[in-house]
Amino acid sequence: MARNVGRAGFRSHALTEVLAFAAWLGAALVVLSDGRRGLALGLGLVAAALAALAFATGHQPGGIALLAGGLVAVGLRLRAGPESWGLMGPGSTPRIILTVVAGLFSLWIAVTVATGDDAALRFAVLAVLGLGGARVLQAREQSASMTAISSLALALGAAAAIVGGEPGPAPYVIAAAIAAAGSAFSPAQRIGT
Amino acid sequence: MLRPRSNLAVIISALLGLGGLAAIVLSTPGLVSDALGISLSLSAPSRAMLIVAAGALALVVVFAPERAERSRLLGWGLAGLAGMTAIAVAPTLDVVILILLALVVLQAAAPAARPLARRVRAPAFAVALLASGLVLTRLGGPPLLERLGAVGLVAGLMAAIGALPYMHEFDAEESTAASPIPWAAFIGPVLAVTVVTRARELLPSASGAFGAMLIGLGLLNMIWGCLASWRTEADASAWRYSFTGDWGLALCGFGLALPEAQGAAVLILSSVLLARLPLYLWSRQALREKVRTDRPLNLLVAAGLAGSAPFLGFGARILLLHSATALYWPLALVIATSLVLWVPSSLRLGRSLGRPSGPQLMGIVLVLAVNVVLGIFPQPLLLLAGQ
Repeated sequence: MARNVGRAGFRSHALTEVLAFAAWLGAALVVLSDGRRGLALGLGLVAAALAALAFATGHQPGGIALLAGGLVAVGLRLRAGPESWGLMGPGSTPRIILTVVAGLFSLWIAVTVATGDDAALRFAVLAVLGLGGARVLQAREQSASMTAISSLALALGAAAAIVGGEPGPAPYVIAAAIAAAGSAFSPAQRIGT
Repeated sequence: MLRPRSNLAVIISALLGLGGLAAIVLSTPGLVSDALGISLSLSAPSRAMLIVAAGALALVVVFAPERAERSRLLGWGLAGLAGMTAIAVAPTLDVVILILLALVVLQAAAPAARPLARRVRAPAFAVALLASGLVLTRLGGPPLLERLGAVGLVAGLMAAIGALPYMHEFDAEESTAASPIPWAAFIGPVLAVTVVTRARELLPSASGAFGAMLIGLGLLNMIWGCLASWRTEADASAWRYSFTGDWGLALCGFGLALPEAQGAAVLILSSVLLARLPLYLWSRQALREKVRTDRPLNLLVAAGLAGSAPFLGFGARILLLHSATALYWPLALVIATSLVLWVPSSLRLGRSLGRPSGPQLMGIVLVLAVNVVLGIFPQPLLLLAGQ
């Protein structure tokens, strides 16, 4: 029985690590994409991974709210913005380096410096916040800016799960609503390059 | 339905706003309410800032600038005031930052000259910095994390209010609702009071570093804001930099962490809301027409903006200098020296008001009167802020 419990624990750890990696990958896609499909895929990965991590830390209603908000945001994002994947266009080398450096820095903080459980959640939240903030600074198009804002909202919602105790449904519900509202903007025209 | 009847829209919005203001005035600071399962409470300084902000909105709407649509001004103002109230009563800093993000999305909806991506850049980055700082303070581990969290919170606050080193992009022709001015002069005061109060609770061992960063950035903003406001080419930019200078004083007050200094910060932010913001809005027409005059009224406005006696800014500066002397006298010397820098920039801003007439003139006289009364009797405002 003890062996089964240990195996389940290992599987659970492996799963949360995969989810944290998926959150970073989603945020990296938001940074690296300029088209609506790439942005929606990135946002979808962020939403699913953060919702699942909230679930894994025992915040089920919060996880459901984040997933719902994320799905609405993805649906709305697919309806607006440049109609392509727009992944890693010419000149995106600095952005690729940014995603790797932000991931490594978040990993260092979450795993090496910080102590306690939920390292996967810490990594995912820090990586999405860092990359979302960087994308907001660097974006020249409305769709990219608003997708980054949606991902910031989802990360902030998931950050409530880091607090010891019960944060209540408010942060998750507000975060989900902002994520959806952020994607509701439809760009009138292409701005910048 | 109300679009063709703008007067009716103004009356209904004003009644709703007055109802909200009455609820804020009648609330008891510090009392926790568990409405809808969420713990809401309003601190005394936040309550004071909200009441002052409501007063500033009333001034601006009643004596609306010539080209401004009163219903639009009131609509955006009330939306901002609702967001500020939500920030002030929010149960945790998470929710405060989320409401700030909601306000960023709301402002993005305002029609503007600049592309959306450029308009949301600074305030959304502020949200990312504040959120990162908050998460770092929550992680268990060495004191380094708490100090990194303090850096994130201070940097986020600077980015939110548009102070150095995160000045917001400014377009003089843009409508005020879509410009960075609401962040610096309307939402900023309540946000700063809330973030600083919550941050002190979150950073027990890094509160010294937090205060030192606020003082350092305060001095930087004070000197840079005043010099830039004096020397910059465009008068509209001079007004914008003057907000930065005032923020420098307020940040020094927050950083000093003495009750007297906190009172000084509240008074300075009140003077931003009750003097600098309405005067900036009333100066916009003269700025467009490039009218500059040196009448006695312009000089009185300059005296008020410079924080000379008997205006509200004077009492705030005296309180700040007194607390700086009590803590570390060389700091008081630096602050006292930099106060001289307000004079040339304020003379320039006073001249840029042009020749106001009609409602604007009445508004300016009322602003000067309110600032004189609060400058001579600041105690009611300080008591309201719990000082």
